[in-house]
Amino acid sequence: MSKTTRRKADKAPPVIVAEELATFAADPELASMFVADGLEHLGTIEQTILRLEKAPGDLSLVNDLFRPFHTVKGNAGVLGIQSIETFAHKLETLLDLARSGSHAMGQAEIDVVLSAVDVLTMMVKELPQRAAGQPHTDQTAACQRILATVDALIAGEAPAPAVPIPVVAQPDADTATATWIDEDSTIKVSTRKLDALVDMVGELAIAHAMLGDNPALQRPGDDRLSRQMAQIRRITGDIQRDAMSMRMVPMRRTFQKLTRLIRDLSKKWEKPANVIVVGEDTELDRKLIEQLTDPLMHMVRNTIDHGIEPREARLAAGKSEVAQIELRAFHRGGGVVVEIADDGAGLDTERIFARAVAQGMVADGTPMEAADVHQLIFRPGFSTADRVTELSGRGVGMDVVRRNIQMLRGRIDIHTTRGHGTTFSLRLPLTLAIVDGLVLGVGADRFVIPTPAVQESLRPTPQQVHTTGGRPTMVQVRDRLIPLLHLGHAFGIPSAREEIGQGTVVIAEDNGRRVALVVDELLGKREVVIRSLGEMFRGVRGIAGGAILGDGRIGLILDTGGLLALASSMSPQGAA
Amino acid sequence: MTASSATGAAPVSSGKYLTFALGREEYGLPILKVREIIKVMDITHVPQVAAHVLGVINLRGKVIPVIDLRRKFGFDAQAPTDRTCIIVAEVALPSSTLMMGVVVDSVSEVVHVSAAEIEEPPDFGGPRTSDYLLGLAKVKGGVKILLDLDRVLGSDGTLALGPV
Repeated sequence: MSKTTRRKADKAPPVIVAEELATFAADPELASMFVADGLEHLGTIEQTILRLEKAPGDLSLVNDLFRPFHTVKGNAGVLGIQSIETFAHKLETLLDLARSGSHAMGQAEIDVVLSAVDVLTMMVKELPQRAAGQPHTDQTAACQRILATVDALIAGEAPAPAVPIPVVAQPDADTATATWIDEDSTIKVSTRKLDALVDMVGELAIAHAMLGDNPALQRPGDDRLSRQMAQIRRITGDIQRDAMSMRMVPMRRTFQKLTRLIRDLSKKWEKPANVIVVGEDTELDRKLIEQLTDPLMHMVRNTIDHGIEPREARLAAGKSEVAQIELRAFHRGGGVVVEIADDGAGLDTERIFARAVAQGMVADGTPMEAADVHQLIFRPGFSTADRVTELSGRGVGMDVVRRNIQMLRGRIDIHTTRGHGTTFSLRLPLTLAIVDGLVLGVGADRFVIPTPAVQESLRPTPQQVHTTGGRPTMVQVRDRLIPLLHLGHAFGIPSAREEIGQGTVVIAEDNGRRVALVVDELLGKREVVIRSLGEMFRGVRGIAGGAILGDGRIGLILDTGGLLALASSMSPQGAA
Repeated sequence: MTASSATGAAPVSSGKYLTFALGREEYGLPILKVREIIKVMDITHVPQVAAHVLGVINLRGKVIPVIDLRRKFGFDAQAPTDRTCIIVAEVALPSSTLMMGVVVDSVSEVVHVSAAEIEEPPDFGGPRTSDYLLGLAKVKGGVKILLDLDRVLGSDGTLALGPV
């Protein structure tokens, strides 16, 4: 018996796979194209239907809706994926009637198309799993429910409305149409190739810097050489910028998702909200956007659940019953700022403080600035939700949001005015591939600490260093005692200097906690390309990756969160 | 299904092996797994890893881990000589493959080993050593120990120690 037959028998029942997905499974390239195209079309459909909701009766929008549906159906048909084909076909029938003007697109129709888009998106996304015989979500029931609703709508019966429909305010017509821009002609390139290009270009820039440092090239008097070097530097810089820009994608898709989420939640919770999107063309590194979506979704949930008051409270406060939620993205100071602003109740400083006292986070009567009180909502375990709602208050809190943002080397700020609303402001770097870091020397080893994590560096006087049991464990900086972590000891570097007085201390911060790193010397600031050390080193604490430094050696990139854990495991007091 | 997994699945096969020395012993690695042989270079130490893990090197812009087979197999430590080399080989982990450097005393030659020359590794009474042996090859009057580098790493494929 050959091995292959045995392997097949191990898999999940292959019956469905064989029939419907035979072509899909046989041609991986075609399959991945179908999934990518399908998801793109479904995204377009979702976006169009949200516009149609604001301008019902716009037949050109119905047309725009019909076409991508037709394409998805057609492509599924070519591959023989009947479940998707028949489902899309039924929806297409409804849209075709609407397109010809014989069926009006009302709220019920829009709702059913939206839920169909959700189901189709899931189906398309899970095709690779299905083809591989892996577990997947069974959408049959959902499909049948939607198909029944569509049938009823086509037959002219009013289906049982799923949700009572609140009035969603009409946004400014200009903002709805002005954002429609022509798509440039584009080609598809696998992101892996793109990532490799960006990495290699980063190395090119570093190799160039190494060349520039070569003493043989620094002989004075050779004008032609220095001109040529300058030329190469300029070209390298241009390539680097262009390569980076290839990986940049606009915030539009993320904002679309958020808009959809706000629409769904505001309907469900009967908190009508009008969404204003500003700067959706602002571009960010694709990897960053991917990791930003979940925190943003969570923040939007919070905004609707906690930020926006119930309708009666809004009316009583003399506000419009329709809340305004603004999603903004813009460039500032070499980075990007993403904001979620509402005109809701604002943060209740007293309530947050009382809650933090009740949860034992701060002692009652502690004098605190309002801004510091607001920061308490980012503490793990903090919740003002008296009830556990479907929206938020389920334990996954703002601490996770802040943690995620910090992992992206960003920060989160709150601006709030009682009664007038809250703005959550995320500041993010443009890209994750390159980090601006401080190079530290410990013995012969080099480490890089990302600059955003560094608060300050100092050479402590003997009076500032406090010892426990004869060993220096804390350093006093102004009024704060900060635990010391001797990097040489922690990482077992034999040639590290022993005396703290001879070395330099770098204060690093993570999640409001600080650690003072004892190093031998500071070797300056530089940009480095972050490289993963690979899964073999995933258990190493305090190291986030490696970077190739100017001399070709590897410097390890420090992870402040991990260092804090290391510091608290090494000293009995733990980190402050 | 793919060619690489088929070769990986075959436990002992005839073919070409790169042989190298550790102390007075001769070892062999399947040549298909070997990418290149380089001189010993600057190795960046990584903390909290097992003693046989020397750290990472910069191989033309790629960061790859380097292990010391002497330490892994319990030989006495030895300062690098001008014959000391790093063999860069491909290693299959549970979820991916990666390049890894292996420090050896010296690289000898590439030999062809036929199936008839390979013997099953003897049972040393414990699972530890025989786990990463493919077999013993009797070639040219000597015994070469054929290594399964994927297994040398250990089952979980991570080099880091647990929390200290």
